[in-house]
Amino acid sequence: MLSFGRAAVRVFDLSLGEMLWSRRTVFMAVVAGGPMVIAVALRIAATSAAVRLTGSPGPSFALGGPDIFGLMIWAFYLRFTVPVLGVFYGTSLIADEVEDGTLTYLFSRPIPRGAILVGKYLAYLVCTSVVVLPSVVVVYFSVVPLFGGSVGAGFPSLVVDLGLIGVGLAVYGAAFAFVGARLRRPLLSGLLFIFGWEPVVVLVPGYMKNLSVAYYLQGLVPHAAPQDEPMTLLRSALQTFDAAPAAWVCLLALAVIWAVTLGAAVLTVERREYVLER
Amino acid sequence: MGIHDQSYRRYAGPRTEPGAAWSVIAWSGIRALLSRRLFLLVLLFAWSQFVVRAVVFYLSANFPSMELIAPSAQTFRDFFDQQDFFVFVVTVYAGAGLIANDRRANALQIYLAKPLTRAEYVAGKAGVLVVFLLLVTWAPAMLLLVLQTMFAGSLAFVRENVFLVPAMTVFALLEVLAATFAMLALSSLSTSARFAGMLYAGAILFTTAIFQTVRGVTGSSAASWISFSANLAQVGDVVFGIAPRHDTPWGISLLIVVGLIGVSLVVLRWRVRGVEVVT
Amino acid sequence: MTDPVVAVEGLSKWYGQVIGLNDVTASIPPGITGLLGPNGAGKSTLMKVVTGQLQPSQGRVAVLGAPIWGNPSAYAAIGYCPDQDAFYERMTGLEWVAALTRLHGFDDDAAAAAARKALETVDLAEAADKKIGAYSKGMRQRVKLAQAIAHDPRLLVLDEPLAGLDPLGRRRTINLIKAWARAGKSIIVSSHILHEIELMTRSILLIDHGRILAEGNVHQIRDLIDEHPHKVRIRTPVPRVLARRLLDLPDVIGLSFEEDRIVVDTGRPDDFYSALTTLAAEGEIAVDEVTSPDDSLQAVFSYLVKS
Repeated sequence: MLSFGRAAVRVFDLSLGEMLWSRRTVFMAVVAGGPMVIAVALRIAATSAAVRLTGSPGPSFALGGPDIFGLMIWAFYLRFTVPVLGVFYGTSLIADEVEDGTLTYLFSRPIPRGAILVGKYLAYLVCTSVVVLPSVVVVYFSVVPLFGGSVGAGFPSLVVDLGLIGVGLAVYGAAFAFVGARLRRPLLSGLLFIFGWEPVVVLVPGYMKNLSVAYYLQGLVPHAAPQDEPMTLLRSALQTFDAAPAAWVCLLALAVIWAVTLGAAVLTVERREYVLER
Repeated sequence: MGIHDQSYRRYAGPRTEPGAAWSVIAWSGIRALLSRRLFLLVLLFAWSQFVVRAVVFYLSANFPSMELIAPSAQTFRDFFDQQDFFVFVVTVYAGAGLIANDRRANALQIYLAKPLTRAEYVAGKAGVLVVFLLLVTWAPAMLLLVLQTMFAGSLAFVRENVFLVPAMTVFALLEVLAATFAMLALSSLSTSARFAGMLYAGAILFTTAIFQTVRGVTGSSAASWISFSANLAQVGDVVFGIAPRHDTPWGISLLIVVGLIGVSLVVLRWRVRGVEVVT
Repeated sequence: MTDPVVAVEGLSKWYGQVIGLNDVTASIPPGITGLLGPNGAGKSTLMKVVTGQLQPSQGRVAVLGAPIWGNPSAYAAIGYCPDQDAFYERMTGLEWVAALTRLHGFDDDAAAAAARKALETVDLAEAADKKIGAYSKGMRQRVKLAQAIAHDPRLLVLDEPLAGLDPLGRRRTINLIKAWARAGKSIIVSSHILHEIELMTRSILLIDHGRILAEGNVHQIRDLIDEHPHKVRIRTPVPRVLARRLLDLPDVIGLSFEEDRIVVDTGRPDDFYSALTTLAAEGEIAVDEVTSPDDSLQAVFSYLVKS
């Protein structure tokens, strides 16, 4: 019998192609393409000088390229793309196989069931990273040079951002892999978590916000939040937080969430009985 | 002694008039959803805002010191705004599988082999969603208006805001029809209810995220036409007679909402077929 | 006596409030065993429990001497062909079978070779590099068989393997199953079509409403049904003459005519056959043919289900 690790790698091999060419990838490509379209549009607009990026009302100001990039990383990638991909893919790791009736072929092999989940989770990580991270790089090179920004100076921040997105995909993916393995209606539960629970609890004083992933991810965002009015409005609209914990606390907390939820997902798949729908 | 014919006899009783078959589909869908406890729980939660506002209405009507929180036309507009979340949840929960599940079970061809037109089938499926969405938007809003009158013991508020009844009805219908047909169209594109739900949620959330990003970068809400939710909100403001919240002309927002319903109907016309001809 | 390949004791399986298997105790011997029952009888549930897909609600299941639920190492010796028509449609038959075989610990080359051999066995060598999504119903059924046999298991569990196949495909698959049995594999094969099972084996397990109605050889099972008369059909040029003689026999409890045949109902078939042989040996009455419609699985099944 294959060891847990080797079995997971083989399930990963089997799942990666299936996942990359699935219908969901079309959706993911659109999601990843959205900010690239915005970046290219901004670039064209800035080059033609037809549009001046100003805030209103109040004194006129212009966001620099790095600020715009930072805004897009937080507003689009971290608060939308990462959790949404986590929900859509994470909850589907087992649910898809159950719904399609193909889980039997995997569960009837002499490998630990948990390895199946881990293999598929690894495929999810690679699949989403391969599509999302290049999109971030394209946005970076399109947006950062605008309005006097320097590509070279901001490069370390790009690397951190890429790492941050990777961490976000890993943690959300693990959390929703557990939800998908455990619940019968994982999609709705996942959506309620990221768009119902997280935005609310981070506004509640006390420890409630500690029960979210977004709170810790925010603590790792390296970009200094501009203090101008539009940014404040946006921050308010996006329900971000003022007092973020230290980076190491955030990383530790995310590591704990990742380990606990992935472990719980593995245990669930090991022990739970799945009755196929067809 | 007479010998009775024991052979097969055709049904000779009354039949429903053609054109009413949609109601059979709608009722069966409604009953199926009502039998799910989780769905009842969602509906219950969807009425929580109603309960809170009813209490506020009572307090403001009976305690002069509470006049500050007395309802206005804006209150009803806000009510619809805050129900958006439940509209989203109910649409995904109740609507994602309406056609996808039939396609998965190859039931579409069985439906359409009956004396039932495609339009009736779609109307029946739409009926399910429309009923529940009105139940979380129009119904509680109208009931709130009735409660306000009863608590105040006067028709003054209704007389002053007589436009509220048509405004709430028109906006609720627009919102419900847009959500219903968009969800049905996406449901018809897939054999998986979960995937259809993902498509709908993705479309709503993605367009909103793009709009918010552009807004943050440009400092202007002129790109609100990108977002499905922002367009509805824009039209809603106009219907309730308040200043539109975004910089996009409301006519464009209305056009986009109506266009979305139109595109959804085209998709449904294309996808709802008993037999798929592969060329 | 050889050890059973599957031993089930007091097995019950509930799906919520619906009972799938009800206190099933059975012992499945090596060779081919037909699992027979109408739709919804519990055949697939039993197979899923036996292959470790479902957890017994109650009772014990041992496959090849080992407990099966939560024991993936035991799956190495089992090949399972499920009833559902579900695949990774975008993969080719070869890719799919090879990928699943790799999960048995085969390295890439060995898995590809085993997959190719399995596909050849089920006559799919030419379509091995086509996407499964483009396969016909029969090909899909055969590629499912290929993934079940590729790792050379000792026990094959085949859930409705003949469903959806054309007559030629059925014949081929039946021959394959018999060949696998001759090669020393134990096979549990389910069907709700009686003659299909009859063509493969005489060893059956009859199941209905989640209960085992009977197990063993068709003849043995028939002998156990004492309360049901055994039918014997006799062809003779003088049916009425023979009928008069047969009515004198104490073992005959009923009699009817069918053109040039008479059909006798008897409560004690062995005694009746003995008496009939004596009668024929006297030479007064010609007996051209003696058959027993009750040897057909259909009759056994009908009796048991009705009882």
